Amino acid sequence: MKTYLLASLAILLVCCAVGPTFAADSDAEVEALVFPDSYTASSVSNGGTINGVVKFEGDVPEMKMLEITKDQAVCGATEKYDEAVVVGEGNALKNTIVYLIDISQGKDFDKATKLEMDQQGCQFTPHVQIVPVGVRLTMLNSDKVNHNVHIFSSVNKPVNKQQTKNRRKMPLAAVKKAEGPVSVKCDIHGWMSAWIAYVPHPYFAVTNEKGEFTLEDVPAGTYKLGYWHEACGSNSEAPVSVTVEAGGTVTQDFALKLK
Amino acid sequence: MIFCLTQSVKLHGWLDNVLYFRSANLRCRFAAVVLFLILGVFSMLTVADAQNAPEASEKGKEVYEQSCAHCHGTEGRGDGAAAENLLPQPRDFTRGLYKIRSTESGELPTDQDLFDIITEGMPGSSMPGWETALSANERWEVVAYIKTFHSGFKEREAPPREISLEGKIPFSEESVEIGKGLYTELGCIECHGNVGRGDGTSAPTLTDAWNFQTWPANLTQGWTYRGGADTEDIFKRFIGGIAGSPMPAFEGDSFLHFGLTSEESKRLTELENMDEMTEADEEASNQFYEKMDEAVNVALTRAEGTELTAAEQRMYDDAMKIVYEKSWHLANYVKSLMPEERPEPAIGNNVLRSQYVQGGLPTIDDAAWETSEARYFPLVGQIIVEPRQFNPTIDAISVKSFYNDTEVVFLFTWDDRTYTTGDETDETTGKPLEDALAVQFPVKVPQGPTAPKPYFLGGGRLPVYLWHWKASAPEQVTELTAKGINAAEVQEVQADLQVKSTYTDGQYQLWVKRALKTEDKKDLQLESGVFVPIAFSAWDGSNGDIDTKRTITSWYTFVLEPVPSSRRFVYPPLIALLSFGLLIGLRAAVQRKNLEKLST
Repeated sequence: MKTYLLASLAILLVCCAVGPTFAADSDAEVEALVFPDSYTASSVSNGGTINGVVKFEGDVPEMKMLEITKDQAVCGATEKYDEAVVVGEGNALKNTIVYLIDISQGKDFDKATKLEMDQQGCQFTPHVQIVPVGVRLTMLNSDKVNHNVHIFSSVNKPVNKQQTKNRRKMPLAAVKKAEGPVSVKCDIHGWMSAWIAYVPHPYFAVTNEKGEFTLEDVPAGTYKLGYWHEACGSNSEAPVSVTVEAGGTVTQDFALKLK
Repeated sequence: MIFCLTQSVKLHGWLDNVLYFRSANLRCRFAAVVLFLILGVFSMLTVADAQNAPEASEKGKEVYEQSCAHCHGTEGRGDGAAAENLLPQPRDFTRGLYKIRSTESGELPTDQDLFDIITEGMPGSSMPGWETALSANERWEVVAYIKTFHSGFKEREAPPREISLEGKIPFSEESVEIGKGLYTELGCIECHGNVGRGDGTSAPTLTDAWNFQTWPANLTQGWTYRGGADTEDIFKRFIGGIAGSPMPAFEGDSFLHFGLTSEESKRLTELENMDEMTEADEEASNQFYEKMDEAVNVALTRAEGTELTAAEQRMYDDAMKIVYEKSWHLANYVKSLMPEERPEPAIGNNVLRSQYVQGGLPTIDDAAWETSEARYFPLVGQIIVEPRQFNPTIDAISVKSFYNDTEVVFLFTWDDRTYTTGDETDETTGKPLEDALAVQFPVKVPQGPTAPKPYFLGGGRLPVYLWHWKASAPEQVTELTAKGINAAEVQEVQADLQVKSTYTDGQYQLWVKRALKTEDKKDLQLESGVFVPIAFSAWDGSNGDIDTKRTITSWYTFVLEPVPSSRRFVYPPLIALLSFGLLIGLRAAVQRKNLEKLST
């Protein structure tokens, strides 16, 4: 025992002397969304709309082709690209979350919407998913291969469940607290990546291929409008102020750069 | 007896009042028994009390900063001074992700879990056991202090749900067989590989919650399991998962065919694997799915913290019973993959002995190898010379050998999770990263009991003779001479070595045959009965092993086991006969002398 301790001490000393030999990918800390302290749902009549387009500013990075290292028949049937930055026509930026930071009262969630995230061709679809607090997200497996759903929550309980090849639908327990966006991975297929935001109110939108977003039924008032993008960061420190009039529409576009 | 005397004085008056004793002796015995009982109950109370750590105190902080902070950091973020060179990385306590727990998935560990890890350490990582270095009290203080790094410990309302070990299924061949089926069905193969050597196709790309590379356990090496390799330990890792790592937990709502009986599950698997289903099949499978959905719904309700109705609880318990049963079978299967204990290193009676055979030597796949017992050489990371390997992935190499009148043959076997042949290059040197092995002998065998062994990879005056094998040239071994770790030269004259190698399920086998004697003066010449120093180096290309960044053994001993000579049937009887004759002759001579004496 003693020799073991001495040995580990020796190793420690050497370690201290040598300095760094490796480090993990030093991804900058993922910026978080900002949620109101409390939110009360009620019916909204004659609410306004906030819409706009998110564009990418600067040289558009080339989409990185993913290296498919296994299950070629299913995962490698078509070329796959890293979806961290998806820029469409006219520099439209997909997968940006646009949301109201400081809303404390407004409409309730649309309970009819089915919340699903698919694993298809060994990629998650959609890449960014908004999940209301208290609602179950169902993971689908359209592939005939084994996956595991690994959600790296820290406020809520982290999730790591195998979804074997025949398990077409796997609902996940609803979470209690707003959090995110949190990273979603499949450890079996290391390239698979997605994001989930657990949110306390329904005023969240994710931009489509055209970079468009719409927030509807917003009670009249002035709000802080925030955005979040996995590679471009967020504006939670300096959000945009928008004033919504009853029944009116206000347009707010964004131009984001890589952080 | 002294104890009894002193104690009985104290208890005397009280006992005399309560009971009447016929003899002082009996009274004394009774007193002792009562005292033992009281002490027993008291100690049980203290043990029960010890399940929970005390309140965090200055003392705990002090011990932590003295003994733990070097790796885990003063703030508990796993970023101490030594952290950078450690893999697995020291735990970051601030996220509340604990790998080794006796609690259900998503729960924090119990205090006892933390205490046990501190006491026993984590095999296969840099975390040593602190049983001798810290008193139990100090360890409990540290537990209390560690808990202050994550708010979840303070905030939790109820004690964590612990994993029940009830209903353990004992080890049996049937159980192992069922477990083996589940190993495939549940997808364990993806990371742990066909036979559990941690060589699954997903193994090279795994990362943990901190984005550090992590390797799946080589299940055949129980001594490297972080949380112990008892069947119960393995079972707990299944049910609770290994938080922060890629290992998922076997939770009800995600478990294969949750809510179905084993028979129903079997039937559904058949249906799922059909290419085409009839309408009746479709109907049957839908019914199974509905049943599953119902059970999953209950499990989710429970996970969300909602109280279950009695009927729901029953349904959940029934379904979980099957999850637990299957997990025990799987644990038994995993247990069957490892030897009971780590093999002894090849020292003392275990030195590598090459066995003599008459005629041809066995080929790589000859059954004759099975008749020979392997010798085992543990490998450690080379940390003396730059570049160093602090995080070795190759645990040991095992070796067998045979020889005949002219040649010697070796079979080297070692586990390596990945087959790397140099497709990727090292960033600093630009050299290809590939798996490799080197076998090291002295050029000249040191003579005499106090003769020095060749220095680490050959000193100036004691050069070593090396066999160097690389995965990119699987049927070739290069002979080298080295006079130091960075002074190896390829020999001009290459002996005619025969080489074969295989890589199957995370394991290399290398077969090398050479003549006992060669013409080259730089080669080691082999002679039966001579004890020859032998050492090994191994490189795992996918672990960044290159040049001196590799795993090494110390010097061991190898001998061509001398053949018991066939002349043993000739000489000993001859000598016996001669001595006997001599004895008779001597006796006769003495007798004659005596007779002569008498007659004069």
